[in-house]
Amino acid sequence: MSAAAGATAVLYAPRSGAGSLRVFLRRNPRLLIGGGVVLILLLAALLAPYISPYDPIATNVQDSLQPPTLRHLLGTDDLGRDVFSRVLWGSRISLSVGVISVAIGFSIGVSTGLLAGYLGGTFDLLAMRVIDALLAFPALVLAISITAALGPQIQNAMIAIGIVAIPGYTRLTRGQVLSVRSQEFITAARTVGASPLRIVLRHIFPNITNTLVVQATLSTAYAILAEAALSFLGLGAQPPTPSWGQDIAYSARYLANLDWWMSAGPGLAIFLAVFSFNFLGDALRDALDPRLRRIA
Amino acid sequence: MTRYILRRLLLMIPVILLVTIGIFVLIRLEPGDPVLTFAGEDRNPQLLAALRHEYGLDQPLPVQYVIWLSHAVRGDLGRSFQTNQPVVEAMAQRLPATIELGAAALLISIVVSLVVGTLSAVRRNSAVDLLATGVTLVGVSFPSFFLGLILILLFAYVIPGHLLPPGGFVPLTTDVGQNLKRLILPAITLSTLSIAVNMRQVRSSLLEVFGLDYIRTARAKGLSERRVIVRHALKNALIPVVTLIGIQVGSIIEGAFITETIFIWPGVGLLAVQAIPSGDYPVVQGVVLVSALAYMFSTLLVDVLYAWLDPRISYEGAGS
Repeated sequence: MSAAAGATAVLYAPRSGAGSLRVFLRRNPRLLIGGGVVLILLLAALLAPYISPYDPIATNVQDSLQPPTLRHLLGTDDLGRDVFSRVLWGSRISLSVGVISVAIGFSIGVSTGLLAGYLGGTFDLLAMRVIDALLAFPALVLAISITAALGPQIQNAMIAIGIVAIPGYTRLTRGQVLSVRSQEFITAARTVGASPLRIVLRHIFPNITNTLVVQATLSTAYAILAEAALSFLGLGAQPPTPSWGQDIAYSARYLANLDWWMSAGPGLAIFLAVFSFNFLGDALRDALDPRLRRIA
Repeated sequence: MTRYILRRLLLMIPVILLVTIGIFVLIRLEPGDPVLTFAGEDRNPQLLAALRHEYGLDQPLPVQYVIWLSHAVRGDLGRSFQTNQPVVEAMAQRLPATIELGAAALLISIVVSLVVGTLSAVRRNSAVDLLATGVTLVGVSFPSFFLGLILILLFAYVIPGHLLPPGGFVPLTTDVGQNLKRLILPAITLSTLSIAVNMRQVRSSLLEVFGLDYIRTARAKGLSERRVIVRHALKNALIPVVTLIGIQVGSIIEGAFITETIFIWPGVGLLAVQAIPSGDYPVVQGVVLVSALAYMFSTLLVDVLYAWLDPRISYEGAGS
């Protein structure tokens, strides 16, 4: 029974390893595009120390405020730092905040949701009231409030964005558990004598992974945007660390001189990262969740 | 209906209590002595001890929470570290600017998404539709602060004639023209995300309604297409949009923090953002508390409106 449950749960119905993955990707070209761009972004972040042409922090005053040229692809800032190198290094901050805060939100949110949905009763009632309270704040306001209380540091921004992401996972997981719980194979597993923990982990969880993968992708996009906003407000990475949001805030003072390239690089980088995660999330949803597929 | 509203208000009480506990915990997490919040410049040890006693800071934490809450309920959220001004008073001074900006953004968002959303549903796959879909796709991923800077660059510096000022604020009562001139760019910046989301919703719910029988009947009766759309289709298609606008209020509140910062628009959001680097926590958390309450009540208002608009929905006995 658990094998049957597992087969519907994996990301796609596999026939044989790599071949079926190829078929799956060919059927969903948007996955290939979105996944490709996300992969490039991840590689750029990982390889930033090796591929960035200049030191992102070292100042070089005689090269200050250069418009984009072949030497400096995205120009230089007021201290002569190469904007392209700062954008590359900044991707490490943005993507690690994306990954870590989603991990925080995912692990706490999903486990709470699994427990609330499966146990029901008092735990469910209490947990859902806490979730309601978290949802009572506009998301970014809650993140600002938590980061301000913990102190303006990138680690605290990660925690704050992670906490903000919890309700989404909890509600989603709980709803899915409630709908899976009443199905026959769960009753069967219970009849065979499987423990509640085993039922939740082996039988229920595999059935909701598709939905969670979609949610995780979309919330990575949100986390990157939220980190940029917090950094823009001075609550994220602190100077001179390269960070997209903070670099845009810094560049604002040079706007009147028309030195547009200082903000163009990081601004477009934020857009590209958020857009590609959103794009990938939408593509995953269409590919993995047949109920949501639009008959266009 | 009255019963439904009362029910919802009652259900909100535990959530509001949890929210205040959360904010209380955040305030206590912050470094610094909270008594100094109330004492301001006066650092006389006797006075501090008296204040500590008055505000119950020599009591256990749960008691402290009750005392803090009883002050908060009476509109006492402490004083600003920086200016010694009561937080509530500081917020009240800044609120009109925030409400003006938020209302303008909401108005722009509703008008644009209704008009463009309807056009792109009626003329499916036309140039307008493609453009609207593009704006939706890009709009949800575009950082608002970057958009704000682009708008400033274009309208205040690049386009000859310096059409609009790069920021600042003139009260509506002083000079309406100057006020509106400074309102345009921040309002557009703040409304973009809502436009992107609402436009898609208007389009898809109109398309859904177009497929229904009563629209075919309306057309068969020989009504003009304009009348079919405006009097019959839109009326029903707008119900889900109302809910969405309620959610947008949240995004407008949080967007105000950023937009007000870019355009130096002296609202509540800018008040909080400027209080952060100096560690003026009472101000920050006061604004957060008011934002959460405003968001909760706007959600309630929208739910009530929704029930009123769609008589099929009965909330009697519906769970939370």
